[in-house]
Amino acid sequence: MMGETVKIRVDDRELEVQRGTLLIEACRAAGIEVPSFCYYPGLSLQAACRMCLVEIEKAPKLQTACTVPVTEGMIVRSNTEQVTQARRSMLEFLLGNHPLDCPVCDKGGECELQDMVFRYGASESRYGEAKRHVEEQQWSPVVYFDAPRCILCYRCVRVCDEGMGVGALSVVNRGVHTEIAPNHGDHLECEECGMCIDICPVGALTSGAYRYKARPWEMQYTSTICTHCGDGCKTTLSVRNNKILRGNNRDRSGINGEFLCIKGRYAYDFVEHPSRLRQPLIRRGRELVETTWEEAIGTVAAKWSEILARRNKAANNTLAETSEKRSEGFGVIGSNHTTNEENYLLQKFARTVLQTNHVDHHRTADYAALIHALANESAEQPSQAQRPPLARSKDIVGASAILLVGNNPTEQHPLIAWNIREACRLNGARLYIIHSRRIPLLRQSHRFLPLGLGHEADALRHLCGEPEATQALLGETPSGDNVTADLLNDFRNRLQEEKDVIVVFGDEITGPDVSLLIRMGSRLSGQTRYIALGDYSNSRGASDMGLLPHLLPGYRPVGDAAARAFFEDRWKSPIPATVGLSVDDMVAATLQGGMDALYVVGANPLKGRNPEDFCGKTFLVVQDLFLQETAQAADVVLPAASAYEKSGTVTNTCGELQRLRKAVGVLGTRTDLQIFASLAAAMGATLHPSQPEEALEEIRQMVPEYNIPLANVLAGGAEAVLNPNGFKPLAAPAETSGRVYSAQDTLFTSGTLGRFSNILNLVPERNIRKEPGPA
Amino acid sequence: MASILGGIVETVAALASGFKVTFRQMFRPTVTENYPDEAPNFQNRFRGLHVLQRDEAGLEKCVACFLCSAACPSNCIYIEAADNTAEQQISAGERYASVYNIDYNRCIFCGYCVEACPTDAITHGHEFELASYNVTDLIYRKERLLAQKTTTDQTAAGDPALSMPSGRNQSAS
Ligand code: SF4
Ligand code: SF4
Ligand code: SF4
Ligand code: SF4
Ligand code: SF4
Ligand code: FES
Repeated sequence: MMGETVKIRVDDRELEVQRGTLLIEACRAAGIEVPSFCYYPGLSLQAACRMCLVEIEKAPKLQTACTVPVTEGMIVRSNTEQVTQARRSMLEFLLGNHPLDCPVCDKGGECELQDMVFRYGASESRYGEAKRHVEEQQWSPVVYFDAPRCILCYRCVRVCDEGMGVGALSVVNRGVHTEIAPNHGDHLECEECGMCIDICPVGALTSGAYRYKARPWEMQYTSTICTHCGDGCKTTLSVRNNKILRGNNRDRSGINGEFLCIKGRYAYDFVEHPSRLRQPLIRRGRELVETTWEEAIGTVAAKWSEILARRNKAANNTLAETSEKRSEGFGVIGSNHTTNEENYLLQKFARTVLQTNHVDHHRTADYAALIHALANESAEQPSQAQRPPLARSKDIVGASAILLVGNNPTEQHPLIAWNIREACRLNGARLYIIHSRRIPLLRQSHRFLPLGLGHEADALRHLCGEPEATQALLGETPSGDNVTADLLNDFRNRLQEEKDVIVVFGDEITGPDVSLLIRMGSRLSGQTRYIALGDYSNSRGASDMGLLPHLLPGYRPVGDAAARAFFEDRWKSPIPATVGLSVDDMVAATLQGGMDALYVVGANPLKGRNPEDFCGKTFLVVQDLFLQETAQAADVVLPAASAYEKSGTVTNTCGELQRLRKAVGVLGTRTDLQIFASLAAAMGATLHPSQPEEALEEIRQMVPEYNIPLANVLAGGAEAVLNPNGFKPLAAPAETSGRVYSAQDTLFTSGTLGRFSNILNLVPERNIRKEPGPA
Repeated sequence: MASILGGIVETVAALASGFKVTFRQMFRPTVTENYPDEAPNFQNRFRGLHVLQRDEAGLEKCVACFLCSAACPSNCIYIEAADNTAEQQISAGERYASVYNIDYNRCIFCGYCVEACPTDAITHGHEFELASYNVTDLIYRKERLLAQKTTTDQTAAGDPALSMPSGRNQSAS
């Protein structure tokens, strides 16, 4: 994309820059200071603040560097007396009506206006008139607005409209009465993302969660990964006295730049929720009572050892008539939130110590099917394998075309939606949507193929050119759209013309449909890349690490003797060869009294059921943050640490490995990794490694996809996990029962964590926001 | 004879010069202070125990801007901020200090906090007897540092013994 360059001269320095670059960018790239308020990279140009004025030769007066593209031979001066004077005057105008209440203003210490006045302003004010005062307004539980502090840079208006696609803010009145106003008169109804607060250069927009709590220089900053959806935004938590006060990412250091949705920005408050489990619980009679860690661990270990011994004995006299009904032994249900290291250790613990393949987690996207389908595809078409066929989240921004099948990224994957909007807005990407609902991203779409619920596979067949499928799609959709053959063909032909498409799909496409999707994708020209959308911060990691009844870490089938031997050799223990039960099967077996013991880590498989029905059906151990339905039915409950209280790595839905760092600690809890280690030790078994770093090292040795350079990850960046050998065809993909379904969390829910976040429960949109209607 | 007279004159002269300072001081005002039997005298600008001031309406002047703690070279000021609400107006601004501690184990009485304060909330008082057998007693809380309410309602300021910055020898209790 290297275009033509032009030569310009700024302050006697020769610069060579791309034609069309904005002068302000050219100067900044060369280290020449040009102050600005309203100019913001990635947003439309506003030219409202006049801070960026510079002298351009032959131009009659000062020009705004933020709107002038460079041209050949341009001669610019940025530090003349006239420019300095202009900056000083602009600041004087801004301060004319500014309250200057920095001591109480939340922005003090990180305020762009403070910095600017300090650097370029006059030392004294000549303004003696009364200032216009307007009372502070609360627009929503998280957004406060203090009009007098606003410098009318319109950044908030633009980020909400262009970046978020919400458009909840606008400008009202004129002249000195100009003000920013929310969409509902005196309050906001929006996504409550807080982007406007974050982007505001002054203390006009402030955050309800953080306001008046601390000063920026009083806090420690820990950058970690948001624990809510699967997009894996980096959030920098500001911590004071072991308390998280805010989350943001102002240094744009993560894959998300500065983007965070409401959950990443505010929903850290579950950490200190009063109902948080802070002590182990043990069942005495019908009651769960508090106990010590020693007793809890001892009880679990003793019971498990007893079950193991009984099962071993039973296995040794298989010939003996077993009048007892068959029992499945141990079941282990893992989490979508725990780290890769913990997931790896958990399935290792289950498979070696507990001798079971009944290991599963709530699967929210069919990563296993995707990996297998891609492996087989690249075996058929080796030429396709030059670039990794899995796209990273930032790749979306640079894509020329995006095909979205199912899912509602605006609610379920806010960062993916932000990236898609950015691609459409800044790079003119064409968005194709196949959906059964009228999702908000339709506003950005280029072509839309509406269909009835569950017909996504038909649409894929249609795209592959199967006429019967085309027939199935014809007719009226539930919302009254008439799907004609013309519409279908137009969609297919247009998509067919695209090159290097990124295909993004949700839980509508699982199992064999994934192969269909890949077949469709490989008919497109160029390199088609894929993103499977799964809920929660480490769904992908849970799959990758083998928290699955049929697959070992790295998607190697448990039925494959060679794969088993590889792990048995390293783990120094046999692994059961039969495919295990899925979550639903384990729960069903428990209800029948068919499980000896069930170990649930950071999950709530009994959600929406009556815990009473499960009490006493099995020896149930639950390790979680809160006393959810599953924990209420448990015999022993172990209080675990959340993602913000431990270190390790997580893999987002696009397969980017990132590092968690410990921000705070909650007294009484232990990390899942520590709990596994103490359980194994109490059972007299060895479970190595016990440190996250060592566990990651073992993962890297055992799972080739994770054997990637770590320097970037350790430094707080993201690295895509991929197979250095390209995707090798695997033995026939191991099939298993078990549903793959999304929890359909919205912007304001987040499974268990969302139930215990005060902020998420406080925002009115949680209840009044409309579901997208049918297509 | 003359030598005897000379001797006397010399002795008297020697005595006079020897007692010159003594006699001169005898007729000057006394500067010695009988501390601890009598209260010491301070210059106005003496930097003693801090006092958190109130405004004319009796509201706390401190708005919890954290500038004093930022300016403090020994890092001994600890603040937590909170919002004023309509029901409970503590300071005149939007925020007030819900916690304000000074650790007198560390304070070096440099006066930087006073310099930094934009609202003239923190000042140095003249109290200086801070010695204690217990270091934790040397962490003074806001209630102890706050000036007494001089306006109408005395009881609202809490226990007067606690809010009286001029009280003596309280730190040992
Ligand atoms: S916006 Fe900035 S300059 Fe204005 S009062 Fe707040 S900190 Fe001070
Ligand atoms: S919180 Fe987000 S959606 Fe709401 S007004 Fe601000 S930018 Fe717009
Ligand atoms: S509220 Fe903040 S971001 Fe919005 S126009 Fe005013 S100063 Fe700019
Ligand atoms: S988009 Fe997802 S990962 Fe990013 S802040 Fe929101 S919930 Fe967290
Ligand atoms: S005493 Fe003064 S400087 Fe310290 S926090 Fe209060 S207002 Fe700010
Ligand atoms: S930055 Fe150019 S006018 Fe605001």
